[in-house]
This record gives sequence, structure tokens and C-alpha cells, in this order.
Amino acid sequence: MNQFPLLSAIVFLPLLGGLLVLAWPRRPSLCRAFSLAVTLADLALVLLLFIPGLRRSGGPWFRVEDYAWIPSVGIRYTLAADGLSLMLLLLTTFLGVLCVLVSWKDIEEKVSSYHFFLLSTLTGILGVFVATDLFLFYLFWEVQIIPMFFLVGIWGHEQRTRTAMKFILFTMAGSLFMLIAMIGLYVVHGRQTGIYTFDLSSLIGTSLTGSVQGWLYAAFMLSFCIKIPVVPVHTWLPDTHTQAPTAGSVILAGLLLKAGAYAVFRFALPLFPTAFRASVPLLIVLGLIGLFYASWIALSQVDVKRLVAYSSIAHMGLVVLGLAVLNSVTLSGSLLQMINHGVSTSALFILVGMLGERIHSRQFKDFGGLWRKMPVFSAFFLFFSMAALGLPGLNNFIGEILILIGTYKVNPIAAAFGFAGLLFGVIYVLRMVQDALFGEIKGEEAVLRDIDSREVVILAALALAVLFLGLWPGPVLGLFEEPVNGLIRLMMPAGVS
Amino acid sequence: MKAILFLLILFPLAGAAFNGVLGRRLPRRAVEVIACVALLCSLCMAVAAFLASGGNTHNVALFKWFAAGDLLVTFDVHYDALAAIMSLMVTFVGSIIHLYSVSFMREDKDYVRFFCYMNLFLFSMLVITLADTLIFVYLGWEGVGFCSYALIGFWYGDEVKATAGRKAFVMTRVGDIAFGVALAFLFAHFGTFSITEINPQAASLSSGTATFLTLLLLWAALGKSAQLPLTTWLPDAMAGPTPVSALIHAATMVTAGVYLLMRLFPVVQQSPAGMIIIAGVGAITAFYSSLSALAQRDIKRVLAYSTISQVGYMILAVGAGDIVGGMFHLLSHAFFKSLLFLSAGCVIQALAEEHDIFRMGNLRRHLPGVFWLMLTGALCLSAFPTLGGYFSKDRILLSTFIHPGGLYKFFWALGMSAAFLTSLYTFRMLFIAFLERPEGRKASEVHPIPKFMKVILIPLAVLALCDGLLNLPFGLGKRWLGRFLSSVPGAMVDLNASFSLFLGMAILSASLSLSGIALAYFFYRRPKEAGEGGWNDLLFSAFYLDEVYRRLLVRPYRRAAALLWQRVDEKVLDRTLESFAPTFETSSTALRLWTTGKVSTYLKAFLLGLVGLLCLFVGWVTLW
Repeated sequence: MNQFPLLSAIVFLPLLGGLLVLAWPRRPSLCRAFSLAVTLADLALVLLLFIPGLRRSGGPWFRVEDYAWIPSVGIRYTLAADGLSLMLLLLTTFLGVLCVLVSWKDIEEKVSSYHFFLLSTLTGILGVFVATDLFLFYLFWEVQIIPMFFLVGIWGHEQRTRTAMKFILFTMAGSLFMLIAMIGLYVVHGRQTGIYTFDLSSLIGTSLTGSVQGWLYAAFMLSFCIKIPVVPVHTWLPDTHTQAPTAGSVILAGLLLKAGAYAVFRFALPLFPTAFRASVPLLIVLGLIGLFYASWIALSQVDVKRLVAYSSIAHMGLVVLGLAVLNSVTLSGSLLQMINHGVSTSALFILVGMLGERIHSRQFKDFGGLWRKMPVFSAFFLFFSMAALGLPGLNNFIGEILILIGTYKVNPIAAAFGFAGLLFGVIYVLRMVQDALFGEIKGEEAVLRDIDSREVVILAALALAVLFLGLWPGPVLGLFEEPVNGLIRLMMPAGVS
Repeated sequence: MKAILFLLILFPLAGAAFNGVLGRRLPRRAVEVIACVALLCSLCMAVAAFLASGGNTHNVALFKWFAAGDLLVTFDVHYDALAAIMSLMVTFVGSIIHLYSVSFMREDKDYVRFFCYMNLFLFSMLVITLADTLIFVYLGWEGVGFCSYALIGFWYGDEVKATAGRKAFVMTRVGDIAFGVALAFLFAHFGTFSITEINPQAASLSSGTATFLTLLLLWAALGKSAQLPLTTWLPDAMAGPTPVSALIHAATMVTAGVYLLMRLFPVVQQSPAGMIIIAGVGAITAFYSSLSALAQRDIKRVLAYSTISQVGYMILAVGAGDIVGGMFHLLSHAFFKSLLFLSAGCVIQALAEEHDIFRMGNLRRHLPGVFWLMLTGALCLSAFPTLGGYFSKDRILLSTFIHPGGLYKFFWALGMSAAFLTSLYTFRMLFIAFLERPEGRKASEVHPIPKFMKVILIPLAVLALCDGLLNLPFGLGKRWLGRFLSSVPGAMVDLNASFSLFLGMAILSASLSLSGIALAYFFYRRPKEAGEGGWNDLLFSAFYLDEVYRRLLVRPYRRAAALLWQRVDEKVLDRTLESFAPTFETSSTALRLWTTGKVSTYLKAFLLGLVGLLCLFVGWVTLW
């Protein structure tokens, strides 16, 4: 273990940067530039992990950092990254850079503390994706929420305080259940083996009786489902998205929701295989309900940000379906879909944010006819909308088709419903495109200036990611292979494939 | 061969990408040249592939796309006789229409977007034509759907046009649900998406599963090919620029559904029940839609209903097991229908965006060139004896007649009636628009149109007139198309009909076509008012099908969306969840007080909170 603690560096660099930014409360442009540098440096560090020489050979984990932390209670500081973590780290740092760029003109007040919160959220999220000690994971899980609370509560829109409160109550309530279950698991495992530990790989083997396993699993899942979010515990999400500043929405949709699905994959499934199997039908139904229900509701939204928020719920419904079916095709699809959704939904939120900066509205009634005055913006808008409705060649398609084709083998009815659900998605996306871009211009024409070079850079970066994931997802799917197979092997002895 | 096929697909994509990224910085002429040259290069490649293939089938692996578990998807090409003919037709018609568009769109400022979508469309269409992997086909399938959507709503400033595009996309996606399920089914059953691997194994399907699969494929085809019950988007799609209607909604995309069924014909063949349903849908749609065409006033809507009806014949051919006849008609239809649309485009521009045939008249005098072109197209569409459309339609009707099964006689009768109606509505349109009318157009009301728009149509007209030569039932080069397509699984070169039956059918369909024209002349030679009243309204609205959908599906769907949102989501779910937090109001008041403080307060609180949390948990765990 005498190597450079690269994972720790990746995780804590943003927080360090954030603390430094606090030193310049009166120099907003310096804060922006410095934050950009920090996020870029972090992205570069993540890219280092793609160099094979810097990876540990053998085993699923590319890199592990393991130190005793609080030995008396068996808490360790364990960070480990496999292919899945790596992709999520990449997504997080990539979106981190974009978040700073997006906020360049959007945020004018309290710039330095804004960037502090932004960067410290990133630390929390990055930590969640690499922590394999349950206690450490829980810590990061909470750390990512608190700065988010401030981002929404201070820099949000008109109803920010109420919404921030709602956000934190929902997620905190969820994680409280997880904490209790975690400690329960810790105690049960300790009593059985005499070794008290929070280490994931040790806990995985714990044999749990039916009802204990059921309760612990339910508590974990409740916490993760709120985060994903699964219908019916999703109602915090549309509110929070609507009120959050653009970068907040990007973090929320692109990263925080992924933390929920990631946690299901990494913790809930391997820790509680029997209980999970019992819950498969329920999860399939909830996933499909999410897809239909949220797509349907999205159609009637008058606020474009709320529409995109509901679309997030619908997309995550499909991810839940893929996780529940649990074969190598659907799991790869779900993991890929997490990345896809992170990219394309973030892009939509960024686009809506750009509109907000110009028109100062999020309501459809103030949009319309934008193509005439803002053709470049509109082309991007159409492009990302098509990605969202799953046009082949763009990113979401691959995830959707993998999930549904894989599902068909196990459960044809669910897959058929899934395909039908995609139609519901088409309906609201086309409505969004038409109401925003087509028809007559409704408001003042003068404010409709096309996007500048900074905005083009942001959108072009996302567009390239969309095309890459849509046309050549092989490398990404290759990274998922080992984690997926590992999980399936783990679940296999009990007879699930 | 690999390079040729790769370039064949790639050229239009490269054109679209280049114009899409750089087009705004280039002069207009450069954009037009790039778009047209991309297509012409593609046409050259199609010809080269045709010559180089030597009539053999080629399977070419291009790239790997994605893989997960036991699922592998590649960009593979399956170049067989069917694909050879189709790719020649698509690139040829595509090139003509691109050249025509340069003139047609001469005053439109959005030419970059137009040519970009057009090139992208042809790329997608070539993918459908050539792809071997069904998921790759699906890429083209959705690609043409997107381009169709974008081009129908090309003049987006008009909400009606934008809505028409949206409707087309949604309705074709209704068909795509079945395509998706079929993909999943094929993979679960055969473990592959490759057409070349699926077709030989098709015989192993039980008739039940084959029927299920055939119905899925048919459903997929119905959406794209605008067959009953998914017809209603195509007439609305006429909102797009006329070259778009000619290319996408006549010659190429709407035949994609038929083409898919032909590509997977060995699967379809396993299910006699499925074939009866296919034939039934085709025949009923052909009849239904030619009836509706009788009462239309908009010249493009007449042609749109006619397209639905003609594609119905192709579907009928597949149902009758005659893919040679289907392909033959697909080919001749592509030529004469695009000719008709492009001539209609000339008329529309000459009359300053006038679409209503009852407000035309006297055009033979003012637009003689266009009249002759239009007449050529109309004769072919009406299956005038010895012209292109005659041989292909006749073959389909004959193959339906001799197909065993009583229902097929009924389908044949429907097809025959539709053939009569076809020449009736075609010449109704031609006579009303072009013959002398006292209240018709004066010379001063007719704007000059570029000569190029007419000249470029001559090759199309020649092909439309002569394409019967491709598959003459007698004489020199007898059944060339049939023999060429004989390598396609399931293709019949000869129908094995007795000579007397063959002759009788030829005479019957010729007389139906001629009597339709005669009847049209009898009715519409003199000035006539547009009809009104019950029957006319019924036909004009295509049996109120659109209205039924609007009332039964669209409106309830919208209302339910609002209801779900306001009643269920906000009132029930959100309230219930919020009631779990009784401290909500108090704490939010507290927060409000808090947020008025200085930044440093937040930070201290935040850090304090963090440390507090940490201490709390560590303490808790230690004390346990």
C-alpha cells in the first residue's frame, strides 16, 4: 500500500480547493477561475486511473486504499475503485467542471461560498462512489447532502427555503433508516463472528435469518429508493429541481440520483441476496410504474424544469427495472443508463438554465419560436432531446435496449410494457421541443441572443459524450463487465442468474 | 466490396455532418454542392456495388457496436439482390430530389438545416436498406423517423406544421413498440440479431411463435408504412416541403415497412395465418385509402392517400407471398409517385403556395411542361396498359388471385376495386387542376418557375414510363427482375398461372384502369364544384378516423396527465409524504431566519454540523 493515495487525492481535492476559495470572498472572478482549475485538475487525476500501469493487476479493484481509522470499533478508512466507480468518478469530475462553467454568469452573489459548497458536494459524491467501508460510505452519503441543501436554500429560486427543507428532510429521513440498518448489520455480524467491522467485503458473507434480512434490506432500500427516486417517494425531486440553481440541478440529476442506484448495486444487492430476490417482482412493478407515471405526468407540466425532473424519474424507473431483473445484460444496461442519464439530463438542465438566464422564466408560456433567434442553442436542444427519447446512435438508446432486451428473456411482459413506456417518453419530449423551439416567439425578441462560446464549449463537450456513448459504448461496457460478473457470481450460489 | 458498401452509407452521413457543423459559415452554393455531391457519390457507389457484386450476396462486417453478456451488436451489412435494387432506387431518387430541391428551396433561408436533414435521412434510409443486424436496421428506422419529423415540421413557425411532424413521430413510434419487442423476441429465440442468421433458422419456428413474430413485424411495418390503423399521420405529413413529401413520404421511408417484411420474409412465410392478416391489412388499406383520395381537395393530400393505397398493394403482395411483385411495385411506385409529387411542387410554386385543386384550372395552357410530366405520372399511377405501374400492379393482383384460400379472392376483389378507384381519383385531380375552367387561373396569376425544376424530372418520367421493361412477362429480358431477385429467400420468379388466367387478369385490370379514366373524364371534364354533404365529408375526413383517435386517445391521455399530476401526485402522494414531517413549518421558519444571516454563519454551522455528526456517530458506536 505504499503508493500515492490517488483515490483520496481525487476525493478530497475539491474540498481543499473549496476551503481555499473561501479565502477570497471579495474576488468572484478569481474564485471562478480557481474552482475551474481545481475541477479540471480533479478530472485529470481521474483520467490517470485509465492508465493501465497505475492500476493494480488482478481482482476487480483497480486501486485500493485501506487504513485503520477508529480501530476500537472496527471502522476503517477504505477506498476502492473498480470499473463502475471509475466511470462514476469520471462522470462526477466531468460534470464538476461543467458545473463551474455553467455558474460563471448565473451566480453573481456570494460567489466564493457558492463555490465552496459546490466543491464540497463533489467531495461527498466522489467519496460515495469509492468508499467500501459502510461507515465511511454513510459519512460521504451525508456530506453530499448538506452542501446541496445550502446550494438550493441560498442560490435557489423563489421557493428555495421551503424546498431545501423538503429536500433535506426526505433524504435525511431515508439515510436515518440506513444508519440504523447499518449498525444492525454490524452488530449481527459481530455477534456471529466476533469481528466487529464495517468492511463491505467481510459483511457480504453474513448469514441473516429471513426476517432480520428483510428488515435490514427494507431499511437500506428505503433510503436508496428515496434517492433514486422511485415512485411513490419521489415528490421531493420535482420541487428541488425546480428551485435549484442550474449547477444544483446538474449535480442532483447527474450525480446524486446515481448515488442511489449505485448504492443498490454496490450494497443492497450483495448484502441481502435473499431479501432482494423476494422483492424482485415489487421492484419490477415499481420501476415500470415510475416509467409510465412520471412520463405521463411530465406531459402536463407547465414548468420546463419540472418536466425534465419528471423525465429523470421515468428514466430512473428503467434503471430500477434493469437492476431488479439482474442478468448480465440488464445490469450492464442499467449501469450504462446511469452514465447516459447523467450526461443527457444534465445537458437538458443546462439548456433550460441558459434560457432562464435570458428570459428569466421557466414557463412554457414564455417560450416558443426560439429556433428563429437562437439556432445554435435550438440545435443543441433538439439534439439532447432526441438523446433523451432514446434515438439510436445517441447514448440513452443503448442503455434502454440492453435493459429491455435483457428483461425480455426473464420477463417478456415487463419488457413489452417497457417498450410501450418509451412511447410515453416520446410524447412529452416532443411536446417540450415544440413548445420551446417552434411556433411564434412569445416574449421580447431582444433578450433572445444565441449562445456564446463558453456555452458552446459546455454543450459541445456534452454532445461529444452523448455521441461517444451512443456510437462506441464498448469501452464503457468493458469497464462494467467485471463488477457485473462479480455481482452475478455473488448472487449465483443462491440460484439466481 | 467492403469499401464500396461502407462509402455508400458513409457519403450522405459525411455530407450531413459537414454541413451541420460548418454549413453556417459557408456560402449557399457550397452547401448545396456538398449535399448533392454526397448523394451523387453515394449513387456511384450503389452502381459500383451492383456491378461488383456480380449478382451474389455479400455479408460485410464493418464495426462492433456494443456488447454485454451474451449480447453482441455489430454494424454489419447484408448486400443481397433486394438491397441492391433498393439502394440503387434510394440513391437515384434521392439524387434527383436533392438536385430539384436546390431549385425548389432557392428562396428559403434555412437551406443548411434542410440539406443537413435530407442527407441524414438518406444515410438512415441506406442503413435500413443494407443493414444486416436488426438493431442496426433499427438505427436507420428511427433515424428516418426523426428526419421525417424534422422535415415535416421544417417550417416550424407554423404550429400546425410542427404538430404534424410531432404526430408523425408519435404514430410511427407506436409501430416501433412492436419492433422493439420483436428485437427482444428474436434475440431470446435465436440469440442473434443478424438477418442472415435468423432467416435460415426460421423454419424451426413453431407456427404459433411465427405468427406472433409476424404480427409484431407487421405492426412495426404499419407505423412506418402508414397502413391501417396507423394511417392518419401521412396526410398531415404533407405539411413538409414538397421534395420531402416526394422523397420520404412517397418513394422511400413509407416503403421501409414493406422492405422489412421482405427482408425477413422467411420468418413471415412460416405463418399462413400471419400472411392472411398481412394481405388483409394491405387490401383493406388500399381500398379504404383510394376511397378517401376521391374527395380530397389538396393536391398533396390526394397524392398522400394514393401513397397509402399503393403501399397497401405492396403489403398485399407480401401477404400473397410474392415479394418479387411487391418489390416491382415498390420500384415503379417510387418513380411515378416522386414524379407526381415533384410536378405538384412545380404547380404549387407557380401558383404561390396554392394547394387546392378547385382553385387551379387552366394549367395545361399555362404550364404545359408540368402538364406532360404530371400526365406521365398519372398514367403510371392509374396502371395504364403497357406503362410501368401496370405490370407491377397486375402481377400483385394475379398473385393474390391464385393464392390458395377463399379470403384471398376477397382481397383480390378489394384490390381490383381499388385499382379502378385509383385511376378515377388520379384523373379527377389531373382534370380539375389542368383542364379549362372559366373561373380558373389567368396567365398573370401564374409565376414563372425555374426551368431546371422541370428538366430534372425528365429522367424520372422516362424511368416511370419504362420500368415495366424490368420485369416484362414476355419478350426480351423476360422477368429480369424476378430472375435477379431469385436468390432472395422466398422469391418466386414465375407465378405459375395458366396463360388464360394471366391474359384474363391483364385484360381485366387494363379495362378497369381505362374505365376509371373514362369515368373521370365524364365527370370532371366540365367545371365542377367541390362536393359537399354526408358522403363527401365521410370520404374527405377518411372515415373520421383521425377524429376518433383524437377523441378516444389523445384528449383522454392529456386529461389523465393533468389529473395524475394535480390530483394524485400533488394532492395524494406529496401531501401524505409531507405529513410525515410535522415539524416542517417550524423548521422552515427557523431556516428562513437563518438564511438571512451572513455567509460565515452558514459555514460555521456547516462545519460544526459535520463535526457534530461525526462525533455523534463515533460516540454512539463506541458506547454500543
